[in-house]
Amino acid sequence: MSPIEWFEQQIVDGRTRYVGDGAPPDALHARVVRSPYAHARVRGVDASAVAADVVVLLPGDVRDLAPYGCQIADQTVLALDRVRHVGDPVAAVAAATPRAAEEAARAIEVDYEELPAALDLDAALAPGATLVHEAHRISENDAAYFGIRPEHGTNVCHRFRIRHGDVAEGFALADVVVEEEYRTPAAQHAPLEPHAATAQWRDGRLEVFTGSHTPFNVRSDLARIFGVGEDRVRIVCPPMGGSFGSKTFVRVEAIAAALARKAGRPVSLVLPRAEEWVTLNRHPSRIRVRVGATREGVLVAKEVDAWVDTGAYADCGPGVAQKVGFSVVGPYRIPHVRVDSCCVYTHLPPNGAFRGFGATQAAWASERTMDVLSDRLGLDPLELRLRNVLRDGDVFATGETMHDVHFEELLRRAASAVAWEEGRSGKGLALVLKGMQTPSRASIAVERRAEGGWFLRCATAELGQGSRKALTLLAGELLGCEPREVVFLSPDTDVVPYDTRSTSSRSTYMMGRALEAAVADLRASGGERGEGEYRNAGGLDPDTGQGVASSHWHQGAAAVELGVDEETGRVELARAHAAVYAGRVVNRKGAELQNEGSMVMGLGSALFEEVAFAEGQVVNANLSDYEIPSLADLPRSLTHDLVEKPGAEVHGLGETAVPPVPAAVGNALGSLGLHVTRLPLTAESVLAAVDRRDGRDGGLA
Amino acid sequence: MIVRFSLNGAPVEVDVRADDTLLAVLRRTQGLTSVRESCGIGVCGACTALLDGEVVSTCLVLAPAVDGRTVTTAEGIAADHPVKVAFAEAHAYQCGYCVPGLVLATTRLLEERPRPSDDEIVAALAGNLCRCGSYVKILDAVRRAAAAGG
Repeated sequence: MSPIEWFEQQIVDGRTRYVGDGAPPDALHARVVRSPYAHARVRGVDASAVAADVVVLLPGDVRDLAPYGCQIADQTVLALDRVRHVGDPVAAVAAATPRAAEEAARAIEVDYEELPAALDLDAALAPGATLVHEAHRISENDAAYFGIRPEHGTNVCHRFRIRHGDVAEGFALADVVVEEEYRTPAAQHAPLEPHAATAQWRDGRLEVFTGSHTPFNVRSDLARIFGVGEDRVRIVCPPMGGSFGSKTFVRVEAIAAALARKAGRPVSLVLPRAEEWVTLNRHPSRIRVRVGATREGVLVAKEVDAWVDTGAYADCGPGVAQKVGFSVVGPYRIPHVRVDSCCVYTHLPPNGAFRGFGATQAAWASERTMDVLSDRLGLDPLELRLRNVLRDGDVFATGETMHDVHFEELLRRAASAVAWEEGRSGKGLALVLKGMQTPSRASIAVERRAEGGWFLRCATAELGQGSRKALTLLAGELLGCEPREVVFLSPDTDVVPYDTRSTSSRSTYMMGRALEAAVADLRASGGERGEGEYRNAGGLDPDTGQGVASSHWHQGAAAVELGVDEETGRVELARAHAAVYAGRVVNRKGAELQNEGSMVMGLGSALFEEVAFAEGQVVNANLSDYEIPSLADLPRSLTHDLVEKPGAEVHGLGETAVPPVPAAVGNALGSLGLHVTRLPLTAESVLAAVDRRDGRDGGLA
Repeated sequence: MIVRFSLNGAPVEVDVRADDTLLAVLRRTQGLTSVRESCGIGVCGACTALLDGEVVSTCLVLAPAVDGRTVTTAEGIAADHPVKVAFAEAHAYQCGYCVPGLVLATTRLLEERPRPSDDEIVAALAGNLCRCGSYVKILDAVRRAAAAGG
């Protein structure tokens, strides 16, 4: 039996300290009072029944604080005069114990006047719809890094366009045109560790310990909220018990900081599980795709209208709309493309970054349409894709020339894993092309430790994706030392150099490149300390979608094989396989885990995950009614390929295998004549598709 | 009320309220962080402990109910126990939040069934959720631990 490395020992012994494990002994415990209405005027908040030793934060306490939001500054620390979603914070309390805080929160009476609400995309886009916000102020946070195009007087807070070629001309060349509309629901990230932060003010400086992987964005927004310089705010990010995108930008930090300011003591806010569903979910989407091809199966034109529901606050929804916008074109050569992708406010809880960042919604619509087209053409779906996939040197719809693309190989590997050549009944394939944050910047410092070994100081946060381990291994390689001699410090904005954020599967690649520069600097400057930076450049024109969408493409394919019990609609997965381009693998076990975990998450989205609403209220806000995959949900075979090339760049792998999975499952159902356009593929929806295929009207009505 | 029980082999005495959960007592009075609150309703397994050797969700166990009994958490399983070694070697974790619960549930499974079938592993561990989806390697870890005589 081999000894366990210290890092793994911490994990198996349960000694890893998450934010909720580390509140100072004098910290007060916070609870949030939330709106039960989707849209209402707040006529008054009465805290007179709250015990005197409890600190209460009321709208009047935060009225002077600036609005925030990483892309549009549309959110206040507490709702001021209007609540805009069920769960919108209207007050908060801090007490000596969690129980006392819960009792105090219940003692607060809020007087509401209910207002009409726009509870889904259709309602929010209807003429004369109630406006969620009357004005749209673009944020000064550097997460608002591209042109944001709100449409005033509507609920559209961003419209991203691609104009490439001339679609009228393109469709004139088409022998076959298909038009389809697809939808995806809200999903919940459900990291096992809920959102948690501890805030305190010391000598006019704000310190926040928070489970976040966007420390510099949180610092920027908190500094603006409290009207202090960024140097007066310190953000420290211990490891997280999962995030999947939920722990990005300001979530619980502003309320904890405002309570701590009023209390004059540290305040710890750990969200009760149910409040996760009103804090951040995945964008529901509605995507209409029209695609044309010649009878030989050559794609000639594509038009897409996409709408993502960002809920009551934009968060990074404009960015999601943009990513949906180019991902939905798919990894294909199409000479004539028009895309309009809109980010839409509704009176639902906010939606934001979710592993895949729009690519899951996009692939669902785009890759299902490819299979519908292949049916119409009478062409094998694999063959249709092979005739059109992007290859090195092809021009994408954004005008950029593609390099280092491997879609053909990924597709062939996925198909071969499900023995495609032996017949395609019950089998489905799908591809994804996903961008990486562009432009962005990563920097890191390497320092010799007095005790021996090295410190790595950088803002790359650990959320279970394994970046800490990958960068430690890479540092060992570059410094010529054992990985155990490398001490990777948790992000602390007081002592680490700037980094855009640990998102979009960019850290191993971007921070890895910065680390190479830092080690070179160390060697050139005496061997004690080195700093390194790496930038990727580009960006898209929001009105034409032309430019560089991504300096580096995440590429993946998935294949599944399934059976359907046509009496019950139950889907039985026999095999699932993903093939992902990995470039050069740094941490093999970690890379495998990213693929396997992404596939499992994709299967949850494919088969059962959906946040269900009634009048804007989440009706399944617990882990019994909202099911996430367990060991019992694994297909009989779940396998994957990490496609590597000698001498290739390191590629991030955190998300690539999520988006193609639901589309591959949908396509496998399609091969059985079961056409379902909305996720998740529940037994009910599959049974309804069986009835439609067989010409029965179904149901008991 | 005063509750006395054995925790990881040592006697403890705690003053609790009738409605305190074992989870809250272990975390707040005993400083144990391997038991983790997550779902709060006994379905995720993050707060798993062994009570008289049986797997329980400590978020559902009221503290007075453990009086006179034996409680084991992941801190009480030897650092080089074959189950811990197997989870480390199989790299059966990502964020690590679910791992202590899985270590305990696996330890109990292997006491009852030293050579479990895959179906028995799934039945025993389906109540320990891993949102990172490390299940392929978790299965591998349990098989390794069984082979090592865990």
